[in-house]
Amino acid sequence: MTSEEKAPRPLGDLERLVMEQLWAASEALTVRQVHERVATTRDLAYTTVMTVLDRLAKKELTERERDGKAWRYRAAAPREELAVDLMRDALDRAGDRREALVRFVGQVSDEEAALLREALAKLDGDTSGRAG
Amino acid sequence: MITPVLLAALALVLAGPAPALLARSDWPYRVPRAAIALWQAISLAAVLAALGAGISLSYSTAGQPGEPRFDPSSARDLVAAAVLAMTALVVVRLLWAAGRVAVGTRARRRRHRDLVDILATPDGLIPGLRVLEEQTPLAYCLPALRGARVVVSVGALDRLDDSELRAVLAHEQAHLRARHDLVLEAFTALHQAFPRFVRSDLALEQARTLVELLADDDARRRNGPRPLARALVALAGSPAPEAGLAAAKSATLLRVQRLADPTPDNRLLAATTYTAAVALLVVPTLTVAAPIVLAIVNAVS
Repeated sequence: MTSEEKAPRPLGDLERLVMEQLWAASEALTVRQVHERVATTRDLAYTTVMTVLDRLAKKELTERERDGKAWRYRAAAPREELAVDLMRDALDRAGDRREALVRFVGQVSDEEAALLREALAKLDGDTSGRAG
Repeated sequence: MITPVLLAALALVLAGPAPALLARSDWPYRVPRAAIALWQAISLAAVLAALGAGISLSYSTAGQPGEPRFDPSSARDLVAAAVLAMTALVVVRLLWAAGRVAVGTRARRRRHRDLVDILATPDGLIPGLRVLEEQTPLAYCLPALRGARVVVSVGALDRLDDSELRAVLAHEQAHLRARHDLVLEAFTALHQAFPRFVRSDLALEQARTLVELLADDDARRRNGPRPLARALVALAGSPAPEAGLAAAKSATLLRVQRLADPTPDNRLLAATTYTAAVALLVVPTLTVAAPIVLAIVNAVS
């Protein structure tokens, strides 16, 4: 359990930070503009910001357009829209790709909810003496 | 001619009555790990028996060892070739379905993880935990070889106390550690490989329930049954956020009732189940292999 993210992947965290700048901006931003905005809170190299923007473009989370010699980046969709996409995907239980994510528990009907509370009451009642 | 008939009969039994009977029984829920092995053995044995029936039928139709050449003018040889081609088609469909499910699942998961990484906040409670700013109570995991995620919504956090949250996380981590998603993927591929009118989703549905029970057992061992049962009720019993989401029949009640019951000693049942699983695989394999081995021994001596 100590593996994987013990050494945090720095880029993953930065992706969120960079996306927040793009969402907040009213227009497409150059790498330099994103760097300026991020640099107010974090000490980051210009090339790091460039790498992160590049990765986000590959993931189709940003769109970029040529502006003279520079690229301008904008978010592929507003934050709210992506959040709706995510929730729809998380709650989607259909299709042959549903094993992509494994939910803890689905929602149940009202009758089943009543039965569930009954079963829980039984558990809370008669195992109180037992070491759980 | 007796071998292909026996194998075809075995394949039919393993594809129809055996799963129907097993799915109606309650005892597999007492030994989920062994029960998954049994379901895997039944599915694999059914496929092997069907393939074995095809191969041995074409073999027994297509002449004797003394006349090994294929004769296009012989109806017998043409039937044998057709049977063999059908058998090969089954293999191709299986491989194709497995590849399609694997690629599709990974693509959806990758996209979902990309969205989680820019929308959710990392939390250090366990590795890979992300908290989503959503009121819908939701907890799930995104399995991966590296960089797996456990996602919990704020709505879920609001409904859980500390011990319940730990139970949920232990459950999800059990899924990730044991790669239960791969077990389900194999059953999904098998399900997808067969035409709609012959396939049944019993094995896949049962496997889904059984891996939940396995993860529950893991969480129960760590935190006791009560926090987990309370977490299940808290997250399942909240109003459904979307119409049509609630499944007609869910395994949730089974899971909570199972946590409420004390766990008896199931070692004998588990051992018996494992033995049945092994026998299912060994017996048809030997049936197919034995005549071939005998033929080779005869040819050599």
